[in-house]
Amino acid sequence: MAEREWPEQLDEIIEEFADCFDAMERYELLFEYAQRMPTPLAEAEWDDQNKVHGCQSNAHVVCSLDENGRFLMRAGADAQLVQGLMTITAIAVNGMTSTEVVELKPVYADAMGLRNTLTPSRANGFLNMFEKVQTAAQNMM
Amino acid sequence: MALDIEAIRADFPILKRVLPNGKQLVYFDNAATSQKPKCVIDAMSHFYEEYNSNAHRANHTLADEATAALESARARISSYFGTGPANLIYTSGATEAINLVAYGWGRYNLERDDVIVITEMEHHADIVPWQELSKTHGVEVRFVPIDTKTFTLDMEAFEVALDGAKLVCVVHTSNVLGVRNPIERIIEMSHAVGAKVLIDAAQGAPHERIFFDSSGADFVAISSHKMAGPTGIGCLLVKTDVMAEMGPFMTGGSMIRRVTTEGTTFQEGHAMFETGTPRIAEAIGWGAAVEWLAQFDMREVHAHINDLASWTSNQLLDIPGIKIYGDPSHKDSSGAISFLHDGIQSQDLAMLLDEGGFAVRTGHHCAQPLMDALGVPATNRASFWIYNTLDEVQAFIEYLRFICERFA
Repeated sequence: MAEREWPEQLDEIIEEFADCFDAMERYELLFEYAQRMPTPLAEAEWDDQNKVHGCQSNAHVVCSLDENGRFLMRAGADAQLVQGLMTITAIAVNGMTSTEVVELKPVYADAMGLRNTLTPSRANGFLNMFEKVQTAAQNMM
Repeated sequence: MALDIEAIRADFPILKRVLPNGKQLVYFDNAATSQKPKCVIDAMSHFYEEYNSNAHRANHTLADEATAALESARARISSYFGTGPANLIYTSGATEAINLVAYGWGRYNLERDDVIVITEMEHHADIVPWQELSKTHGVEVRFVPIDTKTFTLDMEAFEVALDGAKLVCVVHTSNVLGVRNPIERIIEMSHAVGAKVLIDAAQGAPHERIFFDSSGADFVAISSHKMAGPTGIGCLLVKTDVMAEMGPFMTGGSMIRRVTTEGTTFQEGHAMFETGTPRIAEAIGWGAAVEWLAQFDMREVHAHINDLASWTSNQLLDIPGIKIYGDPSHKDSSGAISFLHDGIQSQDLAMLLDEGGFAVRTGHHCAQPLMDALGVPATNRASFWIYNTLDEVQAFIEYLRFICERFA
């Protein structure tokens, strides 16, 4: 990963977003990804402890290590925008080592051509979610 | 004379703004903050370019000019609000003004078990200071509920809550619902039981003239930035006899008469509450803003906003899946339209609207108890002001229909 800004499995997804005709098409694609979360967190498991604070939507993340000691992120949000970005983040981080998760940069969201994903607004759900995932990874090291 | 909206728009450079995606800005987040006319921006630039200096301190020309401008703004702003300069305390905004009542009056005049009446409709700025005072001084905080069918205050419950009240704090106009409360009746009922009254007019002042002296209110909190002025300044209007009951809140420079190693004596009147270097440029900017606003009849401004809100809310109700919280077409409404779509989450909808150039607010609007009463975590809110047009609201509805058809 030393030379790469994001893991290989995101290349195709980022290309898919880059091929979109306009922002509306990108949002549509992101909404589609929201339906494809590989490791969903059921609403029944949403609680204060796993809530992503500072996010305008109701977003929750649970991180753990699988039986092989690899990172596993489960997540759910009521906003499709956040859920879509969570899906792509889960595709990126699931199976990584904790160290790789800590070293990951959130630039892939920017590369997807989505505006405002990396602005340091208090209402920025994506960055708060990303930080929560990295903090969890840090604590597992 | 009817408002010339195009001429008004020409005063606001930002309204010509094109967003990074090439879309023309349509600004419908006026309840959060209004845009600023060129004369306000110029007045502040002029201060910094020509006579920037600290006020009330030195004996040089620039200091004299800065002091004169600061005090002339106080005279202009207090006059706009129907009172005298001695009754206006500059604050950082409505939030600090309310905190000033809590700490500068409440701490000195309320005792354990005294009752403060507030409402479910309040902004957090008019809830949290009272909860904090409750922790330190043992006062009781009573919430008056809203009727969730009419979105208005339950006035019967208000009457019951008044029993034994020492202070009543009510929002003039809800930032979420756009509802204008029956302030005149609330003041009369509160005074009848001997309670002081604080009106949070942060949302009211941009929509109607507030005449403090004749209103009868003991305190009125106002924010500059929602009424064409800059951020960072507001005021607390206080009756003369009530100001005499107040004690220091923030302490330090400017507000003292004499400091010795043994102790300190304080200034009197508004000077006691204006600690540190004044917000000079901001006061000058706000002075320019009220002068700009004073050229209009606020009843005409209100009618214009009400027309836009009525048309928009009627159209919104025609879009399947949309629910409005409040009654934006009511004659007294500020025109803030809180709404939700049952198939598109509020943050998603705000993002999609932003893509079309439409700036609306999303979230709990710093009114979580009201959100709880409404049974929702957040709403989308479109709020209009003097420079918004029928063309803009028509484009908004057309774009929203497109979004709903494509994403719901």
